[in-house]
Amino acid sequence: MKQQPGVCTFCGTGCGHFMKVTGTAVERVFPSQNHPVSKGRLCVRGWNIHELLNTAQTINRPLIKKNGQFAIASYEEAIALLVDTLKALPPTAIGFLASPRSTNEEQFLLMKLARAVFKTNTISLSSDAGHRGCLNVLSRGTGMAGMTGSLDEICKAEFLLVAGSDITKQNPIVGSEIHLAAQAGAKIVTIDSRRTQIAKLSNTFLQITPGALKLAVAGIAKCVVQDGLIDSDFVRSSTKGFEEFSASLTQLSEQEITAKTGISIEEFKLVAKALSQAKTAMAFFSSGISGLDEDTISYIFNLFAMTGKIGKEGCGVNPITGINNLQGGYDMGCAPDLLSGFQSLSDQAAVKKFNTAWGVELNITPGRSVSELLAESPGQLKALVVIDHDEGLVRDAAALQKVDFIAYISTYKNKFMDHAHMVLPAARYIEEDGTFTSTDRRVQLSVKKREPQNDVLPGWKLYARIAEKAGAKWSYAGPAEVMDEISRLTPTYAKLSYKKLASTFGGVQWPCDEKNPDGTRRLDIKAAGSSISFAKVSGAFAVPAAGKDFPYLLMIGKAQDFWHQNNLMRKTFIPMREYNATLLDYPEGYVEIAPDTAKALQVRNQWQVKVVSPYGEMLLAVKISADVKPHAAYVPYFARDIIAKALTGHPEIFKQGEDATIPIRIEKV
Amino acid sequence: MYLIKKNDILQIAKALSTEYQVYGPVIEPGSGQTFFEKVEDVSEINLSAPIPAAPPKHIVFPQADRILSYRYAGGNAPVEMKPDFKETPKALFGLRSCDLTGLQCLDRFFLGQEFVDEVYRSLRKKMFIVTNTCVVPFKYCFCVCTDSGPAAEEGYDLNLTDIGDNFLIEAGSAKGKALCEKLQLAKAADKDLAEKNRLVDKSITLFESFSTESKAWVSRVMNRITTGFAKEEVWEYVGDQCFECGACSFVCPSCSCFNVVDTATGDCSCDRLRTWDSCSYEGYSRMAGGHNPRKPVEDRRNKRFFCKLSYSQSKKYLRPGCVGCGRCDWVCPGDIGMPNVVKYIRRETTSRDQL
Ligand code: SF4
Ligand code: SF4
Ligand code: SF4
Repeated sequence: MKQQPGVCTFCGTGCGHFMKVTGTAVERVFPSQNHPVSKGRLCVRGWNIHELLNTAQTINRPLIKKNGQFAIASYEEAIALLVDTLKALPPTAIGFLASPRSTNEEQFLLMKLARAVFKTNTISLSSDAGHRGCLNVLSRGTGMAGMTGSLDEICKAEFLLVAGSDITKQNPIVGSEIHLAAQAGAKIVTIDSRRTQIAKLSNTFLQITPGALKLAVAGIAKCVVQDGLIDSDFVRSSTKGFEEFSASLTQLSEQEITAKTGISIEEFKLVAKALSQAKTAMAFFSSGISGLDEDTISYIFNLFAMTGKIGKEGCGVNPITGINNLQGGYDMGCAPDLLSGFQSLSDQAAVKKFNTAWGVELNITPGRSVSELLAESPGQLKALVVIDHDEGLVRDAAALQKVDFIAYISTYKNKFMDHAHMVLPAARYIEEDGTFTSTDRRVQLSVKKREPQNDVLPGWKLYARIAEKAGAKWSYAGPAEVMDEISRLTPTYAKLSYKKLASTFGGVQWPCDEKNPDGTRRLDIKAAGSSISFAKVSGAFAVPAAGKDFPYLLMIGKAQDFWHQNNLMRKTFIPMREYNATLLDYPEGYVEIAPDTAKALQVRNQWQVKVVSPYGEMLLAVKISADVKPHAAYVPYFARDIIAKALTGHPEIFKQGEDATIPIRIEKV
Repeated sequence: MYLIKKNDILQIAKALSTEYQVYGPVIEPGSGQTFFEKVEDVSEINLSAPIPAAPPKHIVFPQADRILSYRYAGGNAPVEMKPDFKETPKALFGLRSCDLTGLQCLDRFFLGQEFVDEVYRSLRKKMFIVTNTCVVPFKYCFCVCTDSGPAAEEGYDLNLTDIGDNFLIEAGSAKGKALCEKLQLAKAADKDLAEKNRLVDKSITLFESFSTESKAWVSRVMNRITTGFAKEEVWEYVGDQCFECGACSFVCPSCSCFNVVDTATGDCSCDRLRTWDSCSYEGYSRMAGGHNPRKPVEDRRNKRFFCKLSYSQSKKYLRPGCVGCGRCDWVCPGDIGMPNVVKYIRRETTSRDQL
């Protein structure tokens, strides 16, 4: 029997599966029944992952662009070109854009390559903003830069708050756990501006005015204070900084909350009461490109701290990563100012440890994130190394033109190749051992299931070849040795090894150290004898208001099948067909409006309208749906090219991702 | 009827392996999960393994199967076409009764209608079927409600029942009988059959409460669905919970829907693949031109239950389309496996509580 266990590498849920590989083909995929998180379930993406793994649309040879055309090159030739180009440049002109899809070992080595070999700290992940904000809040608040709860404890939570996340589409199996908890008696409260599936499955759905999420959370916190629902024992014994937070809430008036969120104070009171009375509670929000901003996360964190719902069994403030190894990317230090394990470049002891281990003198001036540099200082970057890019940078196409040299390293062909001057293939994830860290800090080993095709190198080996060409002495026998180095240098991964991971079914959650050799399921305040610090909040609640000229508030979101711009999904059959089903109906994208709005505008389904904002305009088809409120409108992310064009010159808006709210007017054409 | 010592049972599989590729229940050691797989050595087979996570459907109807490859270099070049399926004799050893019933449903769909599916037929031909009576049911099973277990009644070559120190072996075909004779198995007595019957009766009492309560309910719900008495609001309630993952169809031993796609393998060559499909997907029922008779998810969801539980459909299968294996319950992220849906229709559940 050749059913081999593995990990689904689409989203950050980290579901377990089995794969049957015969020869070069992945014959089939099946869910892993005893996996601690997925327990026998997969979503539409996971069930069809073999279609992606079997695609012929892969990069099979190194390619170098000559006179505008790609020509096949040898690895020697391509690596020499890359190294010579980078070596000729000052480190500040070199950037590395890491991929949240790479294995931990690959991310770690890329980080090492950037810092130790090419001396640049300009290394970042392609969907940086959102998740970094989560980690900042959580690490300042608890000392742990990751989800404080655990996905396998969702079933133990009595109260579940879903804040602005289309979770059953983004991370379906997390959504499923939430739904199953509710079926077993827990309460779900969803706060969102659009009626998502999880909103329909909730006991209470607060359909707020677009852009008012932070205020809604603050509103609940205010009700907790006013109605004496604070967990005073917990606040006294285990937290710091409550007074400041509580004082910041006094400035908020009930009138302001209701006026700006569109929700009555009574409803907030009910939620506050249910949250406080539940013995256990968890909050969920998306992180990554569709993530919330740091201030909103701070309010959610504080709400859960004041009700005593952090650091206990069945509790947690849980950012949910959209892409499989986004958490791992930060754990491995793929950020301008971080080493692995969230150790700061300004931490002298940490830097010294790396210097000794690597025999180098690290540059300790933090770099900048690649997307920020491209947006704000185009022209500074002369060379860019990009790994597996399947989203985001399209909006920076103009800035990319200004980069003299772009090397693209990836498994699958995609449009990004057009921007590259050279391309290096990397093996598929089933062709080499590697670990991935899912959203609940769960490090899982994915074992090699077949040989790479066409002698393509796995990522770690490729990076090692590049490092060696540049004069470094790297001598890893395989990914297991890379993990050994990671564990020596990363306190949160200190006791992890391939041996341990191979003998544990369902992964090990970090911190995995001397004190917790089997890993740590959740933050445990009592056991750690630690305390929680309330997050600093802004107290500012500017909610974009609709006005006379722009009477509707537009939100931007993504639907399931347009997941991550869909470059991977496009290489499958079934998920691609699902994508096409909507795309064929609305090839140019659509704007979803409420039935009342449609009546007022006198438009029908699939009619074209002009959406005009202060920043620009776009033509879209109408889709009438009761899922949005009157005065709100929704445009799915897959129309991103159209949205991007309409927002040209306003990257700050686009950056807000799903949280962006733009006042618009809609004109019949 | 024959007897064989419990420890010798795999001798039958061994004997089959000279002529057939043998498939059987195998436990994956790391996770403890059961698969029904082709074995290299019959000692891999574990007859006391729980019901396999996936039905043996993939043996006759693979998840993704190349049924044809073709080449066309353009212009006047001839088109080269190569059908890609072959007959290999297979023995399914230790099939559960529900899964045999599922196989029979597939047979009726692929072979028993106007068009015979050649690919299916070639995979299904020359098969030797050995069933294994469930003397203890598993957590999700409800075959007692769907007339498909816990013991197989027909369609097998041999049926095995663990009756203590021995397995009772019933031959259901000449092929089966011949094998027992060839192996010179001991003859069983009437008391052995009585023991089997006692064990089956006992097994029936061991099912989870859903099955014991719902025995009549499955047929009553069939009646409600067929006569249009299942409320619209119940379908909406069920539809809201569907995550559109396709799992229920993929794990169902009687689900037979497929998609056909051509995928380029080179500049002038192409593979034609047949892949599993699911009525839960929006693209499944979308027609060229954009019309979709089942666009809302609740319409797609009730399609599945019409297919499993309406009289018009059961005429096709000569029984309910559901064989009570419980797998859709296990894999469903929305918690709307067959037993729950039957429950919702019966109780007319349409909403959830507010805070
Ligand atoms: S929820 Fe995420 S990890 Fe799980 S199957 Fe779906 S894409 Fe894969
Ligand atoms: S409908 Fe569900 S329980 Fe019935 S046969 Fe199919 S998978 Fe099994
Ligand atoms: S398994 Fe459940 S969620 Fe998935 S398609 Fe079937 S009914 Fe829907």
